[in-house]
Amino acid sequence: MKLKSLIVVATVVALAGAAGSVGGYYGLRAHQRRQSGKPNLGFISCNHCHQSSLAALPWAQPRPHHDAPGGIVISPDGKRVFIALDDRDEIAEADATSLTVTRRVKVPGGPFGLALDATGQRLFVACPRQDRVAVLDTRDLKEQASVEVGVRPTAVAYCQTSSGERLIVPNSGSDDISVLSVSPLSELVRPAAGREPYAVALSGDGRRACVANRMAVRGDLMSPPASEVTVLDPASGRVLDREPQHSAHLAEGITPVSVRGWMLNPLVRVRNLVPITQVKDGWVMSAGLAISQENGEVTQVPLDEANAYFSDPSGVVASSDGKRAYVASGGADVVTVVDLDWLGAWLTRVDAATRNEAIFDLAMSYHYVIARIPTGCNPRHLALSPDGRRLFVAERLDDAVLVVDTASLGPVGRIVLGDGGRDDPIRQGERVFTRSKYTFQSQFSCRSCHPDGHVDGLAYDFDGSGVGDNLLDNRSLCGVAGTAPFKWNGKNPTLQFQDGPRFARVLMRTDPIPTPQLDELATFLEHQPPTRTIPWSRVGKPLSPAAERGRKLFYATRQTNGTPIPRALQCQTCHRPPLFTDRLLRSVGTQEARDPNGMFDTPHLIGVGASAPYLHDGRAKTLEEIWTTYQKDDQHGVSSYWSKEQLNDLVEYLKTL
Amino acid sequence: MSARAATAPADGPAFPLPVVARFENFGEKDGLPSHKVHSVLKTSDGRVWLGTNNGLCVRETDGRFHTYGTKEGISHPTVLGMAEDPRAGDLWLATMQGLSRFSGGKFTVFTQTNSGLPNNVVYAVAVIDDTVWAATAAGTGAYNLKTKGWKLYNESNTVMNEPWCYSVAAGEGVIYLGVWAGGIVEHDPRTGSFKAYRDPDGEFHIHLLRDSGPIVDVTSGVAFDDGVLWQATYFGLSRYDTRQATWRTWVQDKTPLVSSFINTVFAHGRVAWLSTDRGASVTDGDNWVNYTVDEAGRGLVRIHRTGQEPETHTLTTALSDSFVTAIWADDHEAWFATSNGVSHGIFAGPAAAATVTANP
Repeated sequence: MKLKSLIVVATVVALAGAAGSVGGYYGLRAHQRRQSGKPNLGFISCNHCHQSSLAALPWAQPRPHHDAPGGIVISPDGKRVFIALDDRDEIAEADATSLTVTRRVKVPGGPFGLALDATGQRLFVACPRQDRVAVLDTRDLKEQASVEVGVRPTAVAYCQTSSGERLIVPNSGSDDISVLSVSPLSELVRPAAGREPYAVALSGDGRRACVANRMAVRGDLMSPPASEVTVLDPASGRVLDREPQHSAHLAEGITPVSVRGWMLNPLVRVRNLVPITQVKDGWVMSAGLAISQENGEVTQVPLDEANAYFSDPSGVVASSDGKRAYVASGGADVVTVVDLDWLGAWLTRVDAATRNEAIFDLAMSYHYVIARIPTGCNPRHLALSPDGRRLFVAERLDDAVLVVDTASLGPVGRIVLGDGGRDDPIRQGERVFTRSKYTFQSQFSCRSCHPDGHVDGLAYDFDGSGVGDNLLDNRSLCGVAGTAPFKWNGKNPTLQFQDGPRFARVLMRTDPIPTPQLDELATFLEHQPPTRTIPWSRVGKPLSPAAERGRKLFYATRQTNGTPIPRALQCQTCHRPPLFTDRLLRSVGTQEARDPNGMFDTPHLIGVGASAPYLHDGRAKTLEEIWTTYQKDDQHGVSSYWSKEQLNDLVEYLKTL
Repeated sequence: MSARAATAPADGPAFPLPVVARFENFGEKDGLPSHKVHSVLKTSDGRVWLGTNNGLCVRETDGRFHTYGTKEGISHPTVLGMAEDPRAGDLWLATMQGLSRFSGGKFTVFTQTNSGLPNNVVYAVAVIDDTVWAATAAGTGAYNLKTKGWKLYNESNTVMNEPWCYSVAAGEGVIYLGVWAGGIVEHDPRTGSFKAYRDPDGEFHIHLLRDSGPIVDVTSGVAFDDGVLWQATYFGLSRYDTRQATWRTWVQDKTPLVSSFINTVFAHGRVAWLSTDRGASVTDGDNWVNYTVDEAGRGLVRIHRTGQEPETHTLTTALSDSFVTAIWADDHEAWFATSNGVSHGIFAGPAAAATVTANP
C-alpha cells in the first residue's frame, strides 16, 4: 500500500514537473519571442536581454594609472621641461640637464596639450577630460585660471597678436576650435573645424593658426576621404582657409618651418576603397608628410620605404634653421629624421604632376630620410630645446621621455616618469594595440584604424574575394566590453576570436598575434571606456528637454496616435539598454547587392554620437540619414509617424548615450 | 531742363537719407552666372556676394566676379539669402535645397535629411551670437554652433499660425520671424516666450486700421536696427518703434512708398531700404527717396522731404532693373539685387554731385 502510494505520488510529481517544465519551456520561449520580437529564436538566451549592469563591466572598474607623457614644452631658457601626464592628472617639471623630475602638481582633467607664453612664465594646459584650459604660473606651478572650451581639447598654442594674446585650442570632441583671449581668459569665438581637430601650430609670422584635423570628412560612400588643415586668423578667430589633405587622415601633429614658410603635418595616406586584401601589396595605409607652402600648395611625400612602413606618424617638430624635421612614428617606435634642404630643393625643381604623385613613390624617402632613431614604446609628442641641440620624445607607453642629441642623433638619456606598468595587463594590451609589428611589413597598427580605441570614420572594403566594393563601416572599440559577438556579421564570439588567426590572414597578412599578447589586447579593449559625447559640464545633469522627449520616443511602445508599435520594431527591443544592443543579428532593410545577406549585428549605441558614419557600410553620414534617406518601410524601427521635431529629439537623445 | 548740382547730402542740410548719385550695373556680361539675383551682401572683408538663381557669385575687392555652383559644393544654385557670421567669418547661405556654410573656401551642406534643418526650402538666414537661424517653408530652425543641436520653431510650439517663414532678424535681445500669412513672431530666447504681431483688421486687401499694427499678415521680410522693426509685405510697409511701442504703416497710393509690393527690407540705422517691383525706396518713416526706371530706361530719383514738395531728378544711370529683390547698404554705398543683374549705388557727395542732373 505504502509503495503504491509512493509510486502514485512520484508519478504525480514527475508529471507535474514535466508539465511544469514543458509549460515553463514554452512560456519562456513565448516570453523570448514577445520580448525579442523574433519568431525564430535560434540561440537567443536570457542574457541577450537581461544584461549585466554597466557598473559591472571591465571598463567601469578601477584600473591602474600610469605616468604616460602627453605634451612636452621646454622653457625659453632651455632649463626646464614641462610634461603633461594625462592619466595621472598631473604636470611634471623636469630639469633639462640632469633629466630628473623636479616637481609634479595635480591638474585635474587629464592635462594633455601644453604651451608656454613667450617669457615662459605661464603654462597653458589643455585638459580634454574636463573640457577646459588651465593657466599655471611656472614659478610655483599653481593654477591661476581656467576656462571652459569645447569637448576634449587636445592641444593649445599661444601667440601674441595685434589684438592681444591669444590661445588657439582644437576641440577634438566637438569638431571646433576655441579662440581665447588671455587677459582676461575667455573664449572669443569657436569656429567649426574639420573632424577631430587635434593639433595646432602658428605660422612663423604669427598671422596664421593651422589646426590639423585627425579624421577625414567623407563625401559620398565611394569617394576618397579627405581631412583638412583649418587655417585661422589667430587675432580674430576668423577662418581663412580649409586646406584639404586628399586621401589622408590621422594627422596628430603640425609644426611650422618658419624660414621656409612651410607648415608640416604627418598623416596617414589611406586607401579604404580598395579591397583590404591589398595589404600584401602595400596598398591600404602608408605614412606621409604634408608640406603646405605659403602659396597654399600642399605636397604629400612618403615617410615609408618600399618594403618597410613606419606607421602612425604623430608628433612633428622642425629645427629653427629649417634644415630638419623630426616625426614620431607611434606604431614603429622610431623617430624619423627628414632632410628639409633636400625636400626644399626638390619642390623647386619638379613640376606639379611629380609633386602630386610623390606620395606613391615609397622609394623616394631614401633621398630625404636621414635616420630612424629607435625609441621606447609609442613615441607621440616631440619638442626641441631652444638651441635645437636636444630632441625630447614622449615615449607614451614606457612612461619616459627620451632625450636625443640632434648632432649625433643618438640618445643622451631619459626622463623617467614611471615604471612603464609592466605588470598591468591592460597596459601590455595597449602596447599590442599600438604596435604595427603585427601587420605585414608593419604597415599599420590597431590604432591606425581605431585612434584612442575609437573610430577613424571610414568604411573599409573588406571583400575577401578581392573583387571589392563591399564596404564595412569601422566600429568603435570604446565601450565594446559585453557587446559580443563582434564583426558586422556577428560571427566572432570573443575579442580573441575577432583579432585572431582569421583576422591575421585577411587583414594583417602576417602571423597571428601570439596568444598571450592576444589576451592582453582583449583585456585592453575590454577596459576601453565609452567615448564621452557631451560636454563635461553636462555630465551627470538631467537630459535637455529635447533629449528627454527623444528618450521617450526611443522607449515608445505606441505611435503618437496610439497605434501599438510591434515589439520587433521598437528602438529598445534591438538596442536594449544598458548596452543598447541585444547582440543579435537583425535586418533593417540595408542589404545591398554585394552583401551576402541582410542580417547584421546590432551595434551598441554607447558613444554613437561620435562614431559617424552609420549602418553596416557607413552609408549614413549622420544619424538623421538613418531614418530619412536609408529607412525602408519602417524596417529600422517604426519611424514613419515621426515629425521632424521628433526625429531631432531622438537624435539629441542618441547623442547623449 | 535746367541742370544743377543735386540733392542731399550735397544740397540739403541735415537730410537724413543717403542719396544715390549714380549706379554701376553688372550682369552676365560682367561675369554674373545669371541675370536673376535674389540676394546681396557685402561682407566685412569688402567682398560683395550675390545670391543668384545659378550659383553664388562673389565680387572680389579687385572687381572681378567669381561663381560657386553645385560643383563646388553649394547645395543648390538658387541662393535666396545670405548672412555672415561676424566672428568666424563664415558665410551662411539660404538656398532652395538646404542651408550651406561657406567657410575657408569650403561648403558644408545642411539639409532636412542629413541634419535637423526643418525644411530644404530656406528663404532667409541670420547669424546671431552662437546661433544660425534658418527661415524655411516648414518653420524656422535654430542651429547652435557650439552644441551642434537644432531647435525648431513652427505652429506646434510657437504662436505662429503657420510654419511658412520668410525672414528672420535680430532685435534687441529678441528674434523676429517674418511669417507668411502669420505676421511677425517675436521670440525671446532667454525666456522662451513668443509674441505675435498680427494685422489688427485681418484684411490684406483693405487697410482699415492705419498705424495700429502690421499692415497685413503676409510678411515677405523683416529687418531690425537701432530699435526699429520693419515689416515688408506685398501690400505695404510697416514700422514698429520698439522703444516707443508705436506702429506706422504705408501703402503706395497714399504715401511716397514707390510700390506696395515689397520683396524685402534692409535696415541700416533707422533707415529702411525697400526692394519693390517698381524700384527701390529708402525711408526713415518721414523722408523718402525713391529710385525708379522710366520707360526710356532712364533712372529717376524722387526725393520727398518732410513738409516739402517732392523733387524728381533724372540720373545719368539707372537701376539695372525695376524689379528689385534685395538691397544691402551702409553709410557709403548700396547694392541692389534685381531680376536683371546687380546695381551698385554710389552715394551723392561733394565729389559725386556733378553726376546728377535735375529734372524740371
